[in-house]
Order: sequence, then structure tokens, then C-alpha cells
Amino acid sequence: MANLNLKATKENTYDAIIIGSGVTGGWAAKELTEKGLKVIMLERGQKFDHVTDYENATKPPWEFRYNGKLTNEQKASHPKLSRDYPYNEMTEDYWMDDSDSPYKEVKRFDWFRPNIVGGKSILWGRQSYRLSDIDFEANAKEGIAIDWPIRYKDIAPWYSYVEKHVGISGERLGLPQLPDSDFLAPMEMFCVEKEVRKRIEKNFPGRNMTIGRVANLSEAKKEQLGIGRAPCQYRAKCNLGCPYGAYFSTQSCTLPPAAKTGLLTLRPDSVVTNLIYDENSKRATGVRVVDSVSMDVRVYNAKIIFVCASAMASAAVLLNSTSNRFPNGLGNDSEQLGHNLMDHHFRTGAGGQWEGDLDKYYYGRRNNGIYIPRYRNIGNDKRDYLRGFGYQGGGRRGNWMHNVAELSFGAEYKKEATEPGGWSMGLGGFGETLPYYENKMYLDPKDTDKWGMPLVVFDAEYKENEHKMRVDMQNDAAEMLEAAGVKNVRINKGESYMGMAIHEMGTARMGRDPKTSVLNANNQVHDVPNVFVTDGACMVSASCVNPSLTYMALTARAADFAVSELKKKNI
Amino acid sequence: MNRRAAVQRISLLMGGVALSGPVVSGILGEKTHFGDSVYATPQQEKLLAELADVIIPTTDTPGAKAAGAEQFIIRVMRDCHPMDEQKAFYASLDQFDKDSKAAYGKNFVALGNDQKVAMVKKLIETDKDFFKRMKNYTAVGYFTSEIGATQALEYLETPGRLEACIPLKPGQKAWALG
Repeated sequence: MANLNLKATKENTYDAIIIGSGVTGGWAAKELTEKGLKVIMLERGQKFDHVTDYENATKPPWEFRYNGKLTNEQKASHPKLSRDYPYNEMTEDYWMDDSDSPYKEVKRFDWFRPNIVGGKSILWGRQSYRLSDIDFEANAKEGIAIDWPIRYKDIAPWYSYVEKHVGISGERLGLPQLPDSDFLAPMEMFCVEKEVRKRIEKNFPGRNMTIGRVANLSEAKKEQLGIGRAPCQYRAKCNLGCPYGAYFSTQSCTLPPAAKTGLLTLRPDSVVTNLIYDENSKRATGVRVVDSVSMDVRVYNAKIIFVCASAMASAAVLLNSTSNRFPNGLGNDSEQLGHNLMDHHFRTGAGGQWEGDLDKYYYGRRNNGIYIPRYRNIGNDKRDYLRGFGYQGGGRRGNWMHNVAELSFGAEYKKEATEPGGWSMGLGGFGETLPYYENKMYLDPKDTDKWGMPLVVFDAEYKENEHKMRVDMQNDAAEMLEAAGVKNVRINKGESYMGMAIHEMGTARMGRDPKTSVLNANNQVHDVPNVFVTDGACMVSASCVNPSLTYMALTARAADFAVSELKKKNI
Repeated sequence: MNRRAAVQRISLLMGGVALSGPVVSGILGEKTHFGDSVYATPQQEKLLAELADVIIPTTDTPGAKAAGAEQFIIRVMRDCHPMDEQKAFYASLDQFDKDSKAAYGKNFVALGNDQKVAMVKKLIETDKDFFKRMKNYTAVGYFTSEIGATQALEYLETPGRLEACIPLKPGQKAWALG
């Protein structure tokens, strides 16, 4: 019996365990296997194979039943997910069922949890921006929360490293608040966008408009072609999975090189409930997994563990990893685990009609918009709130829906509908949220899901600083569009709840002091040196830019550190 | 049960045979129905098809009836709308047919084209909300159908490149996708 157990233990033992196969889990898998480690990547979602499982990405519209609209059944079975657009007819299989995995809300939180290998790397918006020292220094300068333990110079080489592999399309601007990436060619702007850009930059010195920086291959270089990726085909069905591998996902970008090493085991359907801590070695020795289908319980052991389950889920797993040494969750001496929850606030801005360019059109569907980098509270600009926001948006020409709201019908209506409509132009702000200790998620003391995982409870909201910023996000957008000659400009005051931007972060923050942070400057859990958390949980402040690129860079950096520590026998 | 689980189950039932998308959709079609619904009668179905065909008639390309737009309308009303909206929709449809009878002594489907057009003009005045919903779903059903997307519009599955600022070609139809 003892021998059998030994054998089982040996079979379940790896050099490294990675929890999660999304943006950061995939990067950890690539880096750790390429450095020679034998790795198991545990994913709670189901198998989702590159290309062959992107069934919906190649279907014409007439093979869908509701043109994306949700059915009553979907609304009933997914009361939370169905509150917003990412869950729809095309993506239904990609998300976890609300009924399988409920969560609780003291305050509304829209939690989007994929149920597939690749996680949100499949479903993400692909906008990719570097943080700057304006971001890394903000907390310290303003006396907010705690200081980041790193600066731009610490992460800059790692941004370059991941960008070369991923391929980020964009335009160099040389701005201090938005450092340039190592870019592939930028995508082109629509005529209206080119003109609006000129007029905004002329009327508002210090403000810039550029094409979105996006993890789609505007051109494929050797690094990308070598792993079977092709350039963007401009089909604009990215979030269904790209059969050309033209945007960054785990499947297209990090899994192929990891698989090539022969050192990776990928195990879908694996719900990690907790890490196992050993008081003698003062290390986490492994993780406990419930098979989501068979309900079998297994334990996997490893020298190092990368927690890459996405910010909320990673914090939940750590909170659920209790021991005599860590009664409130692994690495939670600081009591910060689950706190300082942030997301970007958005869904507000302005839009209007562009009367010109009726003789202009486009070829190809550009799944990317324009970007206006942050300009508020930079240099001499001072507002009655802290931090700032960037805008995403763009021009578009009306399609066959352009005259559907009119009371016309018949042959004339039909003819008009089959011709391109007018142009419009819109801007939507993405604002930074401050880290507030009281914005938090925690585990329900008694209710669990069907895999025995305690339910997550959310208690987080936007506060005065964010609400003040939103006034600027509305007014500035309207002012810039009007100055640019856009007509009938209307302010959009949409509602934004925590989680909706799917940039949730901050629940296991980095820091210099173990008393006030969960992770150190290398994403290593204070006092449990063989555990690393490299997803959005590690963020100390939110910046206003889309965060995934930063998670990639931090993961590659942490993996490099972890392996060097392993070699030095420090962990 | 999500669709993929359903597909796996069906696939197992069928001995693991791979099924095409449309076949699976057909099998799953019944599953998407949920709770109480108003089922269109054959007469209502025919009426919806004729009304849709006045909104989007056959011109140099086939119209809404040829594209089966009424099937989309029925499906979306039945599966995506709450019961009270379904009832209101079919009550409006029935009233519309009654109005045709009152005006011309015939059901709408039996009217001549000019009479049909006159009835729809009247409908806009008497029941604008119903007309708008009808027009909206006719448009979506038609322009996302194979006929609407590939014949009335320009359909391009895989453009392969981006040209974002180019002259509009004479006679250029709107893109079906995007």
C-alpha cells in the first residue's frame, strides 16, 4: 500500500505546477518548459483545441439562430453573465455556467470566467499597452496605498521580450505616459479617424490620437510564422478563436513552444481548490485538484507553483489554502489578500455623426479602434481627482441597420439598406480606479460550489475619485469631437460596475514590505518563496491602460527569477 | 446544459458520429425553447412571411419571403422574448389581419400588392411599435440569411487585408459582415 502511494506520488510530481492556462498561465508554461522544467498546467475549463474547436469562428451568420441574441433559457440559466454582451449566442460554450459556479454580491460584480483552455486569452480585446513610470510612481507620490516595488526600467526589457514573441501592432509616439512597444506595422485609420486626429491634435496640444495597439499580427515575422501563425485576415471574429492564429492566445502563441519542449502536461477539467503547505520545509508542496467531470480528487506536487488563475480566482485559491501557519490564507500575513480590488471604469464618453467621406469606404474588418492616451494630471494639468483615463473608440460606416429605425419599407427602403450608411465617430473612456482596502472579495464562510470550493463574495464599488473622473471622460470626449467637426454629439453616460471591464486586479498585491503586501518585487509570495502569483492579482495600482501585456511581461520576468532561484537552490 | 455538452451527448447517442453544424443546430433547436411560449399558427406564419415580404420585397434580388425571414422572426419572438411581449406581438399581428379584412374584405395574404402596401402604411399609424419590431426582425432575419447576405449585400468571409480609407466604388453594396 505504502509503495503504491509512493508510485502515485511520483507520477503526480512535477518541477512546476501552473494553475490556469490563460494569458499568464500560458506564458509561465512557455518560459518554464523552455528553461527545462517538467511542468503540469491545470485548467479548470474544458479542452479547447487550436483551430478545430473554433467552430463558431467559421460559421456564416445564417448558421446562428438568433443573430447573437440571448434566449430566455440562457437568461434564466445565466442570470449574471447575461447582464452584459460578452456572453452571447456565439460564445455560450466559452463561459462557465452561473448555475455551476455561483458567486455572491454584496455589491454588483460582473465576473466573467471562461470555461475553456486558454481562458480569457481567447476572449480578450487584445488591446496592449505598456505602463509607464507615471503609473509605477503614482501611489508613492500621492500617498495612496503602497508603492510599487518595481519601476519601468525593471519591466521594460520584459515588455520587449514578450512583444517580440506576441507581435503587437501599433504606432510609435514617444510619449512618456505611454511608452512605445516593439511594434509591428500599425493598422490603418479610417479616413474620418485620420481627419479627427488632425483636428484634435491641432485644437488640444498635448493630446494625441493613435491607432489601437493590438496583439493582432498586422504582419507575421519569423518568430510568429515559425510557430504556425499567419497574419491577420481581418475577419473580426477574434474572440471566437482565430483559425489563423493571428492574435495572441495561449493556443496560438504560448502553447506551441511549450508543447514543443515535450515537458508540458496540460490537464483540463481540473479545479484547483487549494495549495498544500508544509510547515517543516516552509514551502507549498503541491495543489489539490477536483476533476470537474469525474469529481475525483487528486494531489499534484512540485518544487514551484505559479498561480495564474486570474486575479479573483487566484486570490480565492490562496484564501482557501489555510494551514496552522496561514490560518487566513496562504501568504496572507498582511491581511491584504482579496483586498484592493480594482477594475477600470468605462462605458462613458461621447459620439456623433460625421457628415463627410460619403465617397470613402474600407476593405477588411478591422477589429481594432483608435486610442487617445491619458493626458489628465500629466505635466501641468491638475484636476480635482487623481490619475486619469484613456479613450478607445473609432469611426464606423453604417451597415444594413443604418435605416432600420425609420418608418420606411418596400423597395426603396431595401435599396437604401443595401448601400453603406453615414459615418459616425465615438470615444469611450477607460479610467483608472484607485486601490481601496475596503474594495474586496472574500470566501463565503459556509456555501460552496459543486466542487467544494467556497463561493466568492464581492464587495467593491467605484468611489468619489472615479465618479469625478467620469465627468471629465464625458465632457472631454464631447468637446474633442465637437472641435473636430463631428455633428450631433451626444454624451453617453453608461453604467459601469466592477468586473465589467474584465480588467479585475489587485487582490494579492506586490510590495516591498511583507506587512502590507502579499507578493514581493518578483511576484513571489512573502514567506512562501516557491509560490508565484503573476496574474492581475499582483497589481499595486491599476493605471488606465489595458493590463494584459503587463501581466505577460511580469510572468516572463517571474519565471526567469524562479528558475534562477531554483538553480541556486534558494527555493 | 451548454451547447457543447449537448453536442457531446447527442454525438454519443449517435455512436460518436461527427455531425455538421446545421444538423446539430436542428437537433438542439428544440432545446433552446424555454417555458411558455406563443407558437405561431400556420396562418400566422404565412401572414408574417407576406408582411415581411412587403417590408423587404423581391427586387433585383430575392426578398424576405424567399429568404425565410419569418422563420427568424418566429424563432426570436418565441425563444428570446418574455411571454407578455410574445402575446402582444401576435395580438398586433391578428389585429392587423382583422384590419385588412375590415378594409378589403380579405385576409392580408390574399390582398393585391397595392392593397398590402396601403395596409402597411396604415399599420405605421395604428401600431407603430409593432411595425418597428416587425421591420427590425425582418431586416435582421433577411440580411443575415444566405440570400440577404450574399445577394443583397456584399459578402466577404475572409478579406485577407485591410484598406481603411479607400474610394467607394460606384454601385458598391454595403458589407454584409461588420
